[in-house]
Amino acid sequence: MAEVERRDLKKEPSEEPKQSGGGVSRRDFLIGGGAGLSGLVVGGVIGREVLGKPAPAPEEVEAPAEEEAPAGEESPYKTGHTLVFDPYQCTGCMQCAQACAEKYADFLYPEETTHLMNLEFSRIRPMRFQHVDVLNYCTYCQLEEWAEGSSKFPCEAVCPEDAIVTIAEGEGVEGYYGMGYKWIDRDKCLGADKCWRCAEICEDQFGSGISFDPIDKKAQSCSRCGGDPECVKVCPEPGALQWVPIGRNGRYYAHQPTAYAELLYRKMYNTRREL
Amino acid sequence: MADFYGFTGKIARVDLTSETVSVIEPGEDVYRKYLGGSSLGAYFLVKEGILDPSVDPLGPDNLFQIMIGPVTGAGANPRSVVVTKSPYNFFCASTAGGHAPAELKMAGWDGIQVTGKAKRPVYIAVIDDNVEIRDASELWGMEVEEAEIHMKKAVLADLETREAMVRDADLTPEWAEMRPPKRKGLGEKRLAHAWLIGPGGENQVWYSAVMTEGARAHGRWGGGAVMGSKNLKGIVVRGTKGHQLADKKKYMSLIRNVQVSQSTNYFWRSYGTAGIGARSAYVEDAFPIRNWQWCCWADPNVKAITGPFMDTTSFIRKSSCAGCSLHCLYPVETTSEDPLMDGVISDMPDWEAMGMVGGNLGFMEMEGSDPGEPFTGDHNDQAENLAKLQFTTFLHDNYGLDFIEGGANLALLMELYQRGLISADDLDGIELTWGDVHAVDELMKKIIEREGVGDKLAQGTYETAKYFAELKGKPEIMDYSMTAHRYGQPAHDVRSPADKNALEYVTVNRACAHTGGGGSGFKQEDYPAAVAGQNGTAATNSLSICTFASGNWGGFTLDILKAATGWDDYTEEDLNKVGAREYALSRIFDIHTQQLKDPKQEYDMQVPPRWFDDPLPTGPHKGAVAYEGDSSKLFNENLPAYWEARGWTKDKGIPTVETLKELGIDDVAEDYAQELL
Repeated sequence: MAEVERRDLKKEPSEEPKQSGGGVSRRDFLIGGGAGLSGLVVGGVIGREVLGKPAPAPEEVEAPAEEEAPAGEESPYKTGHTLVFDPYQCTGCMQCAQACAEKYADFLYPEETTHLMNLEFSRIRPMRFQHVDVLNYCTYCQLEEWAEGSSKFPCEAVCPEDAIVTIAEGEGVEGYYGMGYKWIDRDKCLGADKCWRCAEICEDQFGSGISFDPIDKKAQSCSRCGGDPECVKVCPEPGALQWVPIGRNGRYYAHQPTAYAELLYRKMYNTRREL
Repeated sequence: MADFYGFTGKIARVDLTSETVSVIEPGEDVYRKYLGGSSLGAYFLVKEGILDPSVDPLGPDNLFQIMIGPVTGAGANPRSVVVTKSPYNFFCASTAGGHAPAELKMAGWDGIQVTGKAKRPVYIAVIDDNVEIRDASELWGMEVEEAEIHMKKAVLADLETREAMVRDADLTPEWAEMRPPKRKGLGEKRLAHAWLIGPGGENQVWYSAVMTEGARAHGRWGGGAVMGSKNLKGIVVRGTKGHQLADKKKYMSLIRNVQVSQSTNYFWRSYGTAGIGARSAYVEDAFPIRNWQWCCWADPNVKAITGPFMDTTSFIRKSSCAGCSLHCLYPVETTSEDPLMDGVISDMPDWEAMGMVGGNLGFMEMEGSDPGEPFTGDHNDQAENLAKLQFTTFLHDNYGLDFIEGGANLALLMELYQRGLISADDLDGIELTWGDVHAVDELMKKIIEREGVGDKLAQGTYETAKYFAELKGKPEIMDYSMTAHRYGQPAHDVRSPADKNALEYVTVNRACAHTGGGGSGFKQEDYPAAVAGQNGTAATNSLSICTFASGNWGGFTLDILKAATGWDDYTEEDLNKVGAREYALSRIFDIHTQQLKDPKQEYDMQVPPRWFDDPLPTGPHKGAVAYEGDSSKLFNENLPAYWEARGWTKDKGIPTVETLKELGIDDVAEDYAQELL
């Protein structure tokens, strides 16, 4: 199994993220330019294609990586991190999902979504239960080799096409996927009309971290924006959604949405309730 | 290229009698005139003759609508508007937030209209283009929170549900041996949103609300009773089609600006509307206490009605509507020594609830003392008082009732009881003293079940007063009905010059709404300004977005609308006219459906005499009354001046034919106006 590269040991980061065609940058977006390019060509590579070879899944790291900035400009893209949400701070406002949907719709389907804002492109979805909001996204579960015979992601393990891959640092598309995070090879994915094993095994035993895009119905799952998640940047609630060093196997964050809501309800209201 | 941007161009029309669904396509001209929400709903009510007096509000012919607008969907602050003929026989356009309005747009609809009456309890399930009428017999009788959980579970989008596919062989042998797949397939996502009624609506309590997310209400004017009369438990929506926008990037960046500005809006982000309790009572002297006998406690240490106290005592977290950073709703858990209230999980209460089912029911004083006396309790006593208020809020929400009209109704009865005008015998043995939450609990059960005297009380404050006035032969009972246009006065008083002007309640097109706008215009007797304010609010309800957020939309609203629709020629004046159209149509609706010969005398002058006759007994505005006690100035000078500013007749307040033509609504309204003029 490969080690997750420690931030303080890794090589000099690139000074500037590559401009990734597709969308407007966040800065343009905030200013309200609206004159984004609609090409998909990124560094001479078509954005929809998976670049490079899959790297093994990241392993859990007990000690959080040091937050020591390397000399020179710090890259915004971080390996070995994960998303955690605080259910007391999250208000279920959907801004994470709006940002995610917009980012990936524009990346994958710039022409089809010139006029279309559709949350179905989002890899992160708040789900509202009575008085509880669950933030649903892939938590990066891993199987345990010693017990389950594999250390892959469960979804990866059941994929008949090896379409669920980990993109190594230096590969992928900056700001979208890479840096040791998961990506779904859309050319290999059979699409939900033919196969939904990844989503099913996730819901069967873990969470509900996989959805399907509304156009080609290919599987989609959080790629952590290649180490700098958009959802975290737009979240208006301090502490609600954080980008932190991985401390443990993601499976211990994973719950099916209803189960998650019921657990949070117990915690928040000291009451057991079917949701 | 879509036919429409912002809009979908389609409204789903469900006939529950024939169990058919059809599609209404209003066309661009209609959308330009009315936008959506309240104004578009008003258009359909008039166009389809729902204002005819023969259409029973609780009969199958009434048209029940949930309408949204061009900027409801992708973006921020969505509202849905329930537009129908109220059980009180006037115009109903009641809004609520949440996620359901945005979801409806994503499903491809600008609204849902329901006519007829189902043979058995049903709910409507909307999954994109598919609109199904489904059996709701299992849900009928269920309270709001529980029924909503069931409805949301029952609706999944196509891509969220699949039969089992994974086999043991897909797993490693070790994994398969330890934890073989359950073979349940896909179906764990929960992304649908619902509108529904509780037992109140099912039993057609006149002031029943249409609820969403447990505690958000299209509270006022009885839309829930109209649903109940149609045997319709709810509407649940899941939309995956998205929102088509003319200039999406500009639209989303303008929305982002709104969201960012909201995220520093400390007022809303601290306690929502609970933040204004102290100001209302101790600065404005305008808080409802014991059916408005007081508007300020003599002791400003009564603090259970303030945001900070509620937060300290019970707020658990905060909850936003779709795309909003204001999170003005706070779920709470109540702690009390009284098992009735202990452990109740609900929301805050918000401003109106803390007034109408808090101060107004005498919950805030120590037993045996009145609001004119010092508060002798400690912090735990304050918390116990808050618990009563939170519990009563919860009951109204979970039964699906409007706690404004509900609070007015209960407070009326309590004052009649206090004054000896009625006794426990008149209330099926319930001793309804101020502050007795157990008595309130018992009485509310009777109301929602329409059992015993509850059947009379279920018709709201004004009819309750009328019933007892006749039963007891005491016409003075009517004086304690704190209603205008026969509907309960919300938690803002009109005697103190620091709060609302009385004319605001008299002129708002939705009976005694506190959210009509135009406040400063009314105070300064600048009626064109008041009219513009009201029109602006009506336009907001047509867009249809949240008025709480309008401060953050301010200056951008027109640009956002243009970016959504692509209507580059649309102007502020066009927006203003949307509101003017709604006002004209709803006025004609109210007068025609009630067949009023002299609207002023028969309808507009129904206001609480207390406004003019009972000076405020305590507080910074002690001694104040509305219009210095001169109601004739309000009705004979100011009201006609307001009507004139609207282009309505000065004697009856009927929109003139010229006004209708100028607004471009003579096609639907001229015949009615001619008859009324």
